[in-house]
Amino acid sequence: MAEISLNKINKIYGDNFHAIHDLTFDIKDGEFMVFVGPSGCGKSTALRMIAGLESISSGELRIGGRIVNDVDPKDRDIAMVFQSYALYPHKTVRENIAFPLLMAGLDKAEIAARVEAAARTLELTPHLDRKPAHLSGGQRQRVAMGRAIVRQPAAFLMDEPLSNLDAKLRVQMRAEIASLQRNLKVTTIYVTHDQVEAMTMGDRVAVLKGGVLQQVDTPQNLYSRPVNMFVAAFIGSPSMNLYEATLDGTELKLGSNTFNIPASVFAQRPSLNGAIRRHLVVGIRPEHMNDATLHPASAEIKAHVKLVEALGSEAMVHLVIDAPWIDAGDPDAASDIGHERTAVARFSPKSSVRADDNARVAIAAEELHFFDPQTRKSLW
Amino acid sequence: MTDVNQRDIGKAMINAAALVLVLSYALPYVYLLMTSLKPAADVQQIPPHFFPESISFENFREVLVNSTLPHAFANSLIVAVLTTILSLILALPAAYVATQYRRKLTVVFLLFALVTRMVPAVSLGVPLFQLLKSLGLLDTVPGLVLAHTSTAVPLALLLLAAFFEGIPRDLEEAARMDGCTRFQAFRKIILPVMKSGIAITALFSFIASWNEFLYALLLTSENSKTAPIVIAEYNSVFGLAWGPMTAAAVVYSLPVIAITLALQKQIIGGLTFGAVKG
Ligand SMILES: Nc1ncnc2c1ncn2[C@@H]1O[C@H](COP(=O)(O)OP(=O)(O)OP(=O)(O)O)[C@@H](O)[C@H]1O
Ligand SMILES: [Mg+2]
Repeated sequence: MAEISLNKINKIYGDNFHAIHDLTFDIKDGEFMVFVGPSGCGKSTALRMIAGLESISSGELRIGGRIVNDVDPKDRDIAMVFQSYALYPHKTVRENIAFPLLMAGLDKAEIAARVEAAARTLELTPHLDRKPAHLSGGQRQRVAMGRAIVRQPAAFLMDEPLSNLDAKLRVQMRAEIASLQRNLKVTTIYVTHDQVEAMTMGDRVAVLKGGVLQQVDTPQNLYSRPVNMFVAAFIGSPSMNLYEATLDGTELKLGSNTFNIPASVFAQRPSLNGAIRRHLVVGIRPEHMNDATLHPASAEIKAHVKLVEALGSEAMVHLVIDAPWIDAGDPDAASDIGHERTAVARFSPKSSVRADDNARVAIAAEELHFFDPQTRKSLW
Repeated sequence: MTDVNQRDIGKAMINAAALVLVLSYALPYVYLLMTSLKPAADVQQIPPHFFPESISFENFREVLVNSTLPHAFANSLIVAVLTTILSLILALPAAYVATQYRRKLTVVFLLFALVTRMVPAVSLGVPLFQLLKSLGLLDTVPGLVLAHTSTAVPLALLLLAAFFEGIPRDLEEAARMDGCTRFQAFRKIILPVMKSGIAITALFSFIASWNEFLYALLLTSENSKTAPIVIAEYNSVFGLAWGPMTAAAVVYSLPVIAITLALQKQIIGGLTFGAVKG
C-alpha cells in the first residue's frame, strides 16, 4: 500500500500532441481516486503513465515516496484492470488469477491458497477451470478483478473497467468494486467518463478536460463548490443550466425576469457584494427549479415549456428561458440537452405542466452558482 | 412438399456439389496412387486402366531399396525442418514488433518483405549460386537451408503479421503489469496465444521447402540433392521410369499429408482466429 504523488507531470506524444499539462496532485494511502472527464481528455494517458506503460515526458511521479519515472511496470508493484479485461485466452480462470503470483515467484501452496481466496471473494469458485471465452461479461470482469487483487499490490489502476457491461450489471459491479476497495484499503485510481460512477465510487474525484486538471475534490464539494463552469456542468445529471445574467445590488436580471438574491449567497460569495450592473453567468441545477404553483418561492421566473419527460418519481421539464444560453464546453452535456438550447428542470411528478404551457418556475435562489463570463471561473 | 423436405434436398445438393469438387481435386492424386500400385509390366499398358488389375509393391520396393531416394528423402526432411525453424526464429519477433509497435518504418519493412517475394525465383537463384559458391556452401544442406529460408522468411513474416494483428495490445501490457518483462510477456503470453498462427506458418514454411524444386536443382548436385530432384530424374535420357516415379511421388506426399492431419486442429483454430479476444 502506498500513496501516489504526481508533480507537474506532462505527456507529449510522438506526434507533438500535448496530452497532459502539468498534472499535480497527491493520492493518499488507501484512497479511492476517480479520474473523470469527457472522451479524449487524457484520463487513460494519465493512468498509463502511472502504470509505466507510457513514458512520462516531464515531471515527477512517486509511488510510496519512491520516484518511479523510469521504473519498469513490473517493478512498480501496481495491478491494473483493463477496459477489455485483457484476460489470457489460453489460460483457465485459475491460471489467469495465478499468473501474477507465479511471476512473483511464490510457492505452489501459497498461490493455490490465494487464488482460492480471491475466487471466493469474487464468487468465481465454480468457474475456476473454465477458459475466459466461456464466461459471461460480468464473470470476465470479475476474473480481471481477481488477477488484480490476488497480488495485494501497492495500488490498483482501473481504466473504465465497467464500460463493457450492461447498465444493470454496471450498477451492481460499481457497488461491489467500491466495497471491495474499502475492505482491502488499497490505493485505487479509477478512470471513467461516467460522472455518476465517479460521484458514487470516489473518495475524491479529479476532473480533467483537454489534458488539464480542473479540480480534485470530494464528490460533495465538486457538486456544491465547482471551480468553474466546466466542472459545474460536468458534475450532476442532468447538467447545470447556465445563462447570462446581470446583477445589480441584490437584484438579478435573467432575461425579462428579475428576482432577489438572498443574503446567504453574498455571505458565501463576498466578491458579488456591491455589484453594479455586473454581467455574469448564473448556474441553476435542475433540482433547484420547481413548479411554482406547487412549491412557491420568493424567486420565480416565467418560462415556456418545450417538453415534459415523466419518469414516475420526477418529471424532467425542458424550458425555454428568455436569457442568453451559455455552453459549458462539455461535449457530453451538449448531447444531453440536444441542439435546442433549453434548460432542464427536475419537477415533482405532481406538477401538471404540459408541453407548450407558459409555466411559473420557482428558483432556489440560495443554491445558485455564479461565474465570471470571461475566465469561466466561479465567483466567490 | 414441406419446408423440411426442401431443406433436406438443398443440403443434399450442396453435399453432392462438394463431393464433385473434392473428387476433381483428388482425381490426379488417386490416379497417381493407383498407378504406383500396379506391377511394373502394367504401368504403361495401352489403353491405360484406372484401377490396377493386381496390386504390387514392386515400384515401392525399387525406390526405397535400390536407389538414392532414401538419402534424398532425408535431405528434404532435414532442409525443410531447419528452414521452418530458422524462418520462425527470424520472423516471429520481427512480425510482432512490426505489428504491435506500428511505426512508419515497420510498414515499409513489411512492404519490402512482400516485394522480395515478387522477384522470380530464377532471378534470385543465379546470385544465390554465386553467393553460396563463394561461401563454400554449394551442394550442402546448410546452403540449401539458407536459400530456402530467404524465401520462407518473407512469407512467414506476412502470415505471422496477419495473425499478430488479431492480438489485442492489452495482452502484452497486462502481462507486463503482472510482472513480466517485455520478452517474458512475449514468450509466456503472446506466443501461446499465437499457437495456431505459428502452426499454420510452420506448415506453410515446411511445405514450401519440401516442394521447392528450382533452388534445389541449381544449388545442389550429389550430396544434398532433395527428393523432388531425384523424382524428376526418373524421367531421364535413359527413358521414363513411370512406375518407380509414381511410387516415389506417393511416398514423398505422405509426410505432408501426415503433418496436415496432425495439425488439423491448430489449422482450423487458426482459420477462426478472430475468436481470440475476450
Ligand atoms: N499513442 C498516442 N499517440 C498520439 N496521441 C495519442 C496517443 N494516445 C492517445 N493520444 C491522444 O491523447 C489524448 C488523450 O487520450 P486518452 O486515451 O488519454 O483519452 P481518454 O480521456 O482516456 O479518452 P476516452 O474516454 O475516450 O478513453 C487524445 O486526444 C488522444 O487522441
Ligand atoms: Mg481512455
